[in-house]
Amino acid sequence: MTMGKVLYYTLVDLARNRSVLAFAALLFVVAEGLFLVEGEAVKAVLSLVQVVLALVPLVALVFTVVYTYGAQEFTQLLAVQPIGRSAILGGRMLALGLSFLVALLFGLGLPLTVHAPGATSLVLLVAAVLLAWVFLALGTLIALVNRDRARGVGTALAAWAGAVLVYDALLMTLLFAFSDRPVEPFVLPVAALNPIDLARIAVTIQVDLAAMMGYSGAVYKKFLGSGPGIATALAFMLLWVAWPTVLSFRVFRSKDL
Amino acid sequence: MRGGRAFGRAAGWTLMMGLGGALSAATWTVSPEGPHSGLKAVLSAAAPHDSIRVLAGTYAEGTVTIDRPLTLLGVGGPVIDGGAQGHVLVITAPQVTVQGLVITGTLVSNLQDNAGIHVDGVDDVRIVDNELRNCFFAVHLSNVRRALISGNRILGDPATPETRRANGIHLWRCTDAVVQGNLADHHRDGIYFEFVTGSRIEGNTCRGNLRYGLHFMFSHRDDYADNEFVDNGAGVAVMFSHSIRMTGNRFLHNRGGSAYGLLLKEINDSELRGNTFTDNTTGLMVDGCNRVHAEGNTFRSNGWALRLFSNATGCTIAGNSFIGNTFDVSTNGDLMLNTLAANYWDRHLGYDLDRDGHGDVPYRPVGFFALLVERIPYAIIFSRSLFVTLLDQAERVIPSLSPAALKDDRPLMRPPHG
Repeated sequence: MTMGKVLYYTLVDLARNRSVLAFAALLFVVAEGLFLVEGEAVKAVLSLVQVVLALVPLVALVFTVVYTYGAQEFTQLLAVQPIGRSAILGGRMLALGLSFLVALLFGLGLPLTVHAPGATSLVLLVAAVLLAWVFLALGTLIALVNRDRARGVGTALAAWAGAVLVYDALLMTLLFAFSDRPVEPFVLPVAALNPIDLARIAVTIQVDLAAMMGYSGAVYKKFLGSGPGIATALAFMLLWVAWPTVLSFRVFRSKDL
Repeated sequence: MRGGRAFGRAAGWTLMMGLGGALSAATWTVSPEGPHSGLKAVLSAAAPHDSIRVLAGTYAEGTVTIDRPLTLLGVGGPVIDGGAQGHVLVITAPQVTVQGLVITGTLVSNLQDNAGIHVDGVDDVRIVDNELRNCFFAVHLSNVRRALISGNRILGDPATPETRRANGIHLWRCTDAVVQGNLADHHRDGIYFEFVTGSRIEGNTCRGNLRYGLHFMFSHRDDYADNEFVDNGAGVAVMFSHSIRMTGNRFLHNRGGSAYGLLLKEINDSELRGNTFTDNTTGLMVDGCNRVHAEGNTFRSNGWALRLFSNATGCTIAGNSFIGNTFDVSTNGDLMLNTLAANYWDRHLGYDLDRDGHGDVPYRPVGFFALLVERIPYAIIFSRSLFVTLLDQAERVIPSLSPAALKDDRPLMRPPHG
């Protein structure tokens, strides 16, 4: 009951804040614009993939961190009431998760359903929502662990750059270094350890089918196209949502506010 | 033109036969109800240039041989069943026409090239509007001049394993053949040519063949126009030939690690115009070719639109459209002795200040990632990663890995057609 109230008031606050609303509008405009400019729906979806994979984690991460710091006084106020700390954090994270879900459904889901309904769009939308949740959980954890605001935002940006750029760069360097060894079976699992890469592979395997079918792409396609493969990918993404969430709760419970 | 001449000659022969035959030729009718119910009996009784009408029904007489110039005309789709004894129909005389038959029942053999219709060493044969069902080889011609193979439906069984399949239309050492408007599906190769010269292949459809839709070697001065090659195991592979013209063909959905919309290997002095390559793993692969001119072709939604190997020389790729491909061009080395000119690239972001329809700065279609994947194929999983996109742009701006000559100096701002 109390968690429901925290959820409600956080949602009201988020609606007043308008940042998530603005994000939804931005996504909507970008998506509509891409569908308008690109003659073909497939090309627009491909461009959207790159926008979504970079933008959604960034916005989810930075917004969550900033919002958590901003809500510090409200949190202190709540904490002196007879409300459990789990209810406070749970309500807030649920509110953030819900608002991002709605933002993505509107900003991304609507244009995709109108212009390019199909499996690829569905995968892209699901990937975007899961990514938002992953980085929302990570953002919460980062904000709770770092008392200093600047340090928290810096860590968040570093985490984003690490996931979206550095990880791939390192992996490709390793790939080059070990290219004369049979590392092929390990490339996909290791890449998929990164949620952004996993989301990207899940979507591109739908779109870049022709190229993917060549060489080892066929193996990946077979795995990620099958029931157990999809289940594994989903479970892995949820694991990425779960571990920062659990850690956040643990930190928050004993945190000196 | 060459093909047209061949066709004209074939037509001329038929006309002469028709006129000559009108004076003396008889028309026989074979029917299961009699009076003539045996095909073989009539074939041995008929005089040269007679016509034989074969009425609907099933004629299971083993291998049937036509050993004199005759016209065999099926009425209502009579079925000639070879009963798996070898060939079904063997033509050993020139100026034979076989039309409107349904042919089935070849013997599958690893030692003999058994065929639905087998022709060896005789000229001016016309094979028109037949249906060949589940044959090993369907139409097999060797040492034949001026053959016409037109409007046949050559149907295989998708369940047949490769070891029990052979080619749909198989020509060996033929000249001036016309192959037009046939459908060849679910065989090993749809159309197979070896040492076939001066021929025209037009308006055929090859679909779902296990190996190649079209496969030719050592076949010079041939025209391929308006054919469609769909869903073949390895697409189309053509090798060791010169003076080939391919126009208006469609290469679709040829998927797989070594599948090509069109693989050109050691093809010299040839032309590709107005073909479309759609949704293939590799659209066009140019390997060891000299002076191949590709103009006005459309590459759409392929994995690799064009793989232009370093061992190709003097080829020009001009006025083509590259739209929605994962990779537009890739190559395998530093040397580039070919020309890319005035193509439309959908990734081209340049500007056209003088409004002449061409971008003002050269466009480099080979990205870093294409080169990386060429070297490490499984790096494909980094496709559309932000990191790769950044490196790709960097490579385009400051090329360090791709061959310096591989650029389009006058990229088109709009697709040249459609």
